[in-house]
Amino acid sequence: MSTILDLHSHSEASEDSRAPLEAYLNWLKLRRAERPVEGIVLTEHRQFNKDADYRTLEDKFNILVLKASEIETDYGHMLVFGVTDEMTRRFDFANVHLPAQEIIDEVAGMGGAVVPCHPGRPNVGLFEHYSKKQPLQNVIAVEVYNGGSRKGEDERSQELAQRFGYGEVGGSDSHLVSLIGLCATRFEADVRNIEELVNELKRGAFEPVDFRPRRKPVQPAVAVEVK
Amino acid sequence: MNGSAEPSKRVCEVRIDMVDYDPNLIGSVFEVTDPVPVTAEMVKDFCQAIGESGPLYTEDDAARQGPHGGIVAPPSYAITFRNGRQFFEHIPRFGRQGFDAGKDVEFVAPIRPGDTITLSSHVKEIYEKTGRTGSMVFVVVRSTLKNQNDEVVAHVDHRFMNRP
Repeated sequence: MSTILDLHSHSEASEDSRAPLEAYLNWLKLRRAERPVEGIVLTEHRQFNKDADYRTLEDKFNILVLKASEIETDYGHMLVFGVTDEMTRRFDFANVHLPAQEIIDEVAGMGGAVVPCHPGRPNVGLFEHYSKKQPLQNVIAVEVYNGGSRKGEDERSQELAQRFGYGEVGGSDSHLVSLIGLCATRFEADVRNIEELVNELKRGAFEPVDFRPRRKPVQPAVAVEVK
Repeated sequence: MNGSAEPSKRVCEVRIDMVDYDPNLIGSVFEVTDPVPVTAEMVKDFCQAIGESGPLYTEDDAARQGPHGGIVAPPSYAITFRNGRQFFEHIPRFGRQGFDAGKDVEFVAPIRPGDTITLSSHVKEIYEKTGRTGSMVFVVVRSTLKNQNDEVVAHVDHRFMNRP
């Protein structure tokens, strides 16, 4: 019993994505052998789509679709799982300067979970802020595999996650259809809804998984003698 | 932890750092262009220019039997209409640097030869975000294209990025 979920994706509801949810699900269905992802979490930027109902598409493709949010804080970007009305009343998700420590603590108290994403990324990653400010308390996990990472960012995330003893998750951070499911998280238990996802994040029985194709090393150039 | 302690006050404290602008900017039309006539010749030239050979846009007989009952302009014809001279002067700016961050076009109804098209523009949205390179303020200006019957034929959302 386990569940593999892509915890970080953006549909066309985010202003910088053009990916329709149905295209994501179709892509995953067609590439299940390469990316055995059983569900995705839509983490739209600075918003939570409370009324969005994806059950018809879930049934059509037999892929779980959960809803969360990616917010912007004074310690970088963070994924909020288990969003409630109480949270959106308390915090303005459109604010790009949300107070990270308050968010982490209060969201946990309201039944949710917060996971800093791409923590090794410049400017919007958690660990750059750690070089200037006190580390945050009560961080349960960080995203160490991010499908949009540039060279060295995931390595930095892993190194620092291990140093601080944080749990490690993965997500594609997909904004394009073909990138969905490239990184994900394998949960030890079955996860069938957002409440179970939050519980499992708090329980800590998960690991990041990476389905990105490995690039073949580039062969060094060989000098050719010109006659 | 105390999630209920003076929530509204603390949210307001956070908002001090957010981008500041006059909320009346949003939605108010700042420019309406003169009507631009669309002729069959213009549609034909446009099709030739972009290599469009679809019969609904280029062949009278096929187009008459098609869903629009006659030749229509290809959807991308909507982006050929220019905004007025005052357009850029009315776009709110934040900071000293910025660039055109792209356009979204929503095609609502076909444009036909014989139509006259008018653009009206307003600020649709202003929002802030952060990325690898720092803070950004985005201004989205919507130009709505209407024909002589006051029917909307397209929306063009111009997205401008500013570096505060």
